[in-house]
Order: sequence, then structure tokens, then C-alpha cells
Amino acid sequence: MNTASLVVLVSLLIIVGGLALAIRPRGVSTLDFYLAGQRVGVATNASAICGDYFSAASFLGVAAAVYVSGLDGVWYATGFAAGFVPVLLFVATPLRRFGEFSIPDFLGRRLASDRVRLVAVGVVQLIILSYLVPQAVGSGITWQLLVGQGVGGLSPYVTGVIISTAAITGLVAFGGMRGTTWTQAVQFLLLLAALVWLAIAVLGSGFNYGTAVADLAAEPLVNPVNVDGQWELATTPNRLEAESSASFGEPGARYGGLGQFALIITLVMGTAGLPHVMNRYFTSPTGTAARMTTVWVLGLAGLFYALAVMLGTAARALIPTAVDEHPWLAELTVDGVLRVPEHALPVLGRMYGGEAGLGLVATGALIAVMSTIAGLLLASAASWGHDVYERHINPQATQRQAVWAGRAAVVVVSFASAGLALGLRPESLTALLPSIVATMVTWAFALAGSALTPVFILAIWWRRTTAAGAVAGMVVGALAAVAMFVAGAVIGDRGLGEMLMTPTIVAAPLAAAVTVLVSRRTQVPEDLELLWLKMHGTAADRHAMRLARLTIAGVDRQRKDRGTGDARR
Amino acid sequence: MNGDADEHDTPAEVDATVRTLRRVAVGYFVVFLVAIGGVPGLTLVLDWWSQGRLIGGMSPSFVMAAFGLYVFFFVIGLAAATLSTAVESRMLGGPDEDPTEEAEHQ
Repeated sequence: MNTASLVVLVSLLIIVGGLALAIRPRGVSTLDFYLAGQRVGVATNASAICGDYFSAASFLGVAAAVYVSGLDGVWYATGFAAGFVPVLLFVATPLRRFGEFSIPDFLGRRLASDRVRLVAVGVVQLIILSYLVPQAVGSGITWQLLVGQGVGGLSPYVTGVIISTAAITGLVAFGGMRGTTWTQAVQFLLLLAALVWLAIAVLGSGFNYGTAVADLAAEPLVNPVNVDGQWELATTPNRLEAESSASFGEPGARYGGLGQFALIITLVMGTAGLPHVMNRYFTSPTGTAARMTTVWVLGLAGLFYALAVMLGTAARALIPTAVDEHPWLAELTVDGVLRVPEHALPVLGRMYGGEAGLGLVATGALIAVMSTIAGLLLASAASWGHDVYERHINPQATQRQAVWAGRAAVVVVSFASAGLALGLRPESLTALLPSIVATMVTWAFALAGSALTPVFILAIWWRRTTAAGAVAGMVVGALAAVAMFVAGAVIGDRGLGEMLMTPTIVAAPLAAAVTVLVSRRTQVPEDLELLWLKMHGTAADRHAMRLARLTIAGVDRQRKDRGTGDARR
Repeated sequence: MNGDADEHDTPAEVDATVRTLRRVAVGYFVVFLVAIGGVPGLTLVLDWWSQGRLIGGMSPSFVMAAFGLYVFFFVIGLAAATLSTAVESRMLGGPDEDPTEEAEHQ
């Protein structure tokens, strides 16, 4: 890593860190620490949700999956973006109108049950940990490529995991949701800027997207494999047509017929159950604002993923012809094909922007990791600090004690995830998975979509949902997802195994069916009518709008009076 | 009653609104599922879908996965949000006078 990369990296990280510290909450209110005072506007919240959601899996993983699998890798981008459609249709608005601190808090209050809250805390923590580990892996991979050396005798991968985890843990512990909201919004804009710059640089160099896809599709898809310690290129078999090789522009490189659907359904259903993303909706001022925020997110996600897919294709097309011109590519490639597909975007950055370009893209990757880790840690803090400590361990806790409990949770969870990430070695998994980061994040989506989303949607739209039904649904959904995944890992990811590795297509309907069956045999909460009015009525929204209009009218009148007074004088 | 004393919804109004919104959401979700399942689904039954050429050298399947579906998600999201907000403002809260106008009249 040279001076230019280092300057770009340090400058951008200082901007983001300084912003978090400058706007950190000054008080010790839990509403401020967890929900930024519930006054986050549509554009800011949409950008913050994108910063939260677009993790290493989106920034490095989507381009990597496209790079290594062609069209089958594009399904990751499609699924990640599509996940916000069910969020918009079924979840965002009622969730905000009900207005609690976290998903477990929402389910606990809606179903009037502490048992539901505690089971939901368990499921949420599992999802958060499954999502945190690949982020930490992504930061290690990025450090490896960007800096290339470790600190204090540690390997570059270990150093990257430890430094990024420690930095973001500090920012979240002291910045809370208010600081995190603004840093996530700025982080997303930096992330988008890095992609847009790279897209302009690539297209400006004469890259033709359509022609590149056609050229790549004309030849069999090849990828590096490690055979007896030696790297060599091997043709990727077509999973849709036996005995033939896969093509970049056609499906079959990664998934068979069933696998494509299973992956998409897993990603689509998973988003609505992601605690760090759903918690952001509680920060909107009204339910209608939460709805419009999701429309913005859909637009921004479309732009982001369309660029990521194009750049994954560009990396596949351009890197083989650039090896002669850029000798440093030799150690990263096998006959012009990258050994680690997650290197696709950083390599493009270095090809088109030199060391500063590498610094910008790698910083974008670290930012993607850090903003997602921040959201996950906050969701974890809200869950432990509010749902467990305040409700069960110390119901008499002061606001200060509750906030410190949240901060302690942030530290413990971040160290647990870093520990798990350090136990993994991405090199050993690259040959098995299309993109290790994207694949691992898919496991978190599978758990969220199987255990939480069905119960969540039923609790919002079906009055008869009961606490016992929700507990049964969450437990069955989580167990089914984990059991199917373990079975898939044992029998391999071919045929039925594809579906077992992305289990939501079976586990979610099963969880929904169990929730309905058990709910029909048990009692609904006594104050259901009030809960229903709170969740689906718009009176609170109208009241907030009325106050806002009166405030604006008051400010206008003050301005007018001041203008008249000045004129008289 | 919900919200502030001067803003409230009745249970009957909210129930009717929930039923309407549920129909809207399920209707849009079915269209969404058909589109998102149709793009990979057509590759299994229609050779032209993955081997034909539309823009440059891209197949219809690649065009939809790389651009088309994102535009579709945004359009369907905007349409559903607009319709849901319109349903709520018609069915809940009754006539809502602008407080700024009230203030002007006083």
C-alpha cells in the first residue's frame, strides 16, 4: 500500500468518524440512543437504511458473485433489491405506527407476551451474529488486499478484522442511533460515489457492456481451482444441462432449476426479518414517512445493484487483457482470472485510478462493512439492553444504566463476531463457494426469512395471531432453517442440496402454517382492539403532521412579523 | 381511540381500512412474485429467453436481471405506496381541515 491509498483511506475514515462524534447524542435517553429521537427524515433515513443494508456482501459480494458465476451471480443482486418490496407492502408502515424499540419489543407488545419477546431476542441475536461474521471476514479480506501487512506480528487478515471491529465498536458505543444514522447516510453516499466513479472510469475507457456479455457468453466459463497446491483454471460445469459447460450470460453456473428460485425467495423473504434494517423504521417520524422511505430505498438499491452487476461483468471482461500492462495482477490471478473473486472491484479501482483508486474502492468496502456492523451492533444493543436488561434484569434501571447496558452489549457482541471471523480462513472456502461473503450473508437471510418474517407479517395483518402461535412459528422456522442447512452441508449443494442450503422456500411456509395452527387453538391478547388501532390507525400520523404544519405556519408568521417590523423601522 | 384527543380513528374504520390495504398489498405481492419468479422461470422453458440477443449482446434474461427488475421494483413500490396512502387518507380521519387555514381565519 502506498501513500496515496493510505491518504484516501485515512481521510475518508476521519470524515466518517468525526461526523459520528460531532453529532453523538448528548443526553442519556434510550429514545435518543436507540431511535435518534424518532425524527429522521425520508431522504436521510433512506440513505441510512442503504448504508445499513449494503454490506460487504453487496459491495464486494455481488460483483464477486457475478464475476465468478455470471447470470447466476446476478440473482444475489436481484434478491437483495427485491427484499424491500415485501417490506414496503407488509411491514414498514404498521411497524413504525406501532412504534417500539426493536423487533422483539414489537412482537412482545403486539402479542402481550414476555415469552414472545425473549424467544424473539434469541432469534434476533442468532441472525445478527450470522450477519456480523461475514462482515468481519469482508474487512479482513479488504485489509489483506489494501494494506497487505499485519500489525504486531498478526497476519493482514487478522489485523483487518480486529482494527475494523474495534473502530466501529467505539463509534457505535458512543454515537448511538443518532450518530450512526448520519454516518450510515454519509457512508452510503461515499459507497455510491465509489461505484459511480468506477462505472464512469470503466465506461470512459471504452468498455461496452452488451458486447462484453456477448463475448463472455461465447466461451465456456472458467475459474481457478487449487489442485495439490497448484492453481489452475477449470471449466465450470452447467448445472442445468449435464455434460455441458456453464456460460457467463446464461443460468447454470451455480444453481440448478430449483436453486435459483430457492435463493431468490430466501433473499426476498429475509430482508423483512433483518433486525438492523427493520429497527431503522422506528426512527421515522410517521408511518407514511416509513412507507415513502422504502420507495426511496427501492430506487437507490436499483441504482446500486445495477452498477455492481455491471462492474462484476467489467472485471471479468477487462482483467485478463490487463495482466501484461499491470504486472501486479500476476500474483492475484491465474491466467487472467482472479483467485479471490472479492478482489474484482478493488482491482478495477487500481487499474483505473492507480493506488488512489485502490484506496477509494477499498475504503468503500471497509465503509460498507463498518456501516453494516454499526447497524447490527445497535440492533443487538437494543435487543439486549432494552428487551432483556430493562425489561427483565433491572426493570428499575435509570436511563443512564440502560444506555450503558446497551453499550456493554455492543462490545460483547462485536468481540464474539470478530472471534468467529478469525476462526475462518477465506482462502480455504473460496473454492467451495461462489463468493464467501455473499454466501454467508445468505445464511443470515435464510434464518431471518424462515423464523421472523412469517410471524412478523402474520402479527401485523392477521388479528388472530397469538403469543403461543408466534413462539411456535419462530422456533419451528429457526429449527427448520438450521436443520435443512446442516442437511444441505452434509449432502452437498447439488440437486435437493441447493434448496436445503437456501431453506426459506420450505421453512417460511412451515413456520407460517405452525403459527396459524397454534394461534387458532389459543387466545388472542385482551386489548387487541387498542393494539390494532395503534398499528393500523393514522391518528398519530395526522397529529404529527398537524403539529408540523402548525410549527411551519408559526415560523412563517414570525418571519412575516419580523419583516413587517423591519419595514416599519 | 388512538393518538391525540383531537385525532382519532374508530375500530370500524380501521378494520375496513386494514381489509382494503391487505387486498392492495396481496395483489401487488402476487404481481411481484410472478415477475420475480418469471425471469428465472422462463430460462427453463424458453431457449430464446436466455440465448436470444436484445441490447448489445445481452439476452432478455440478462437484461431483466441486470436492469429491468430494478425498474420494476421501483415502479411497483411507488404505485403501491401511492395507492395505500390514498386509501388511508380517504378511509381514516374524516375531513381534515388545514390548521394553518384555521389560524388564518381567526
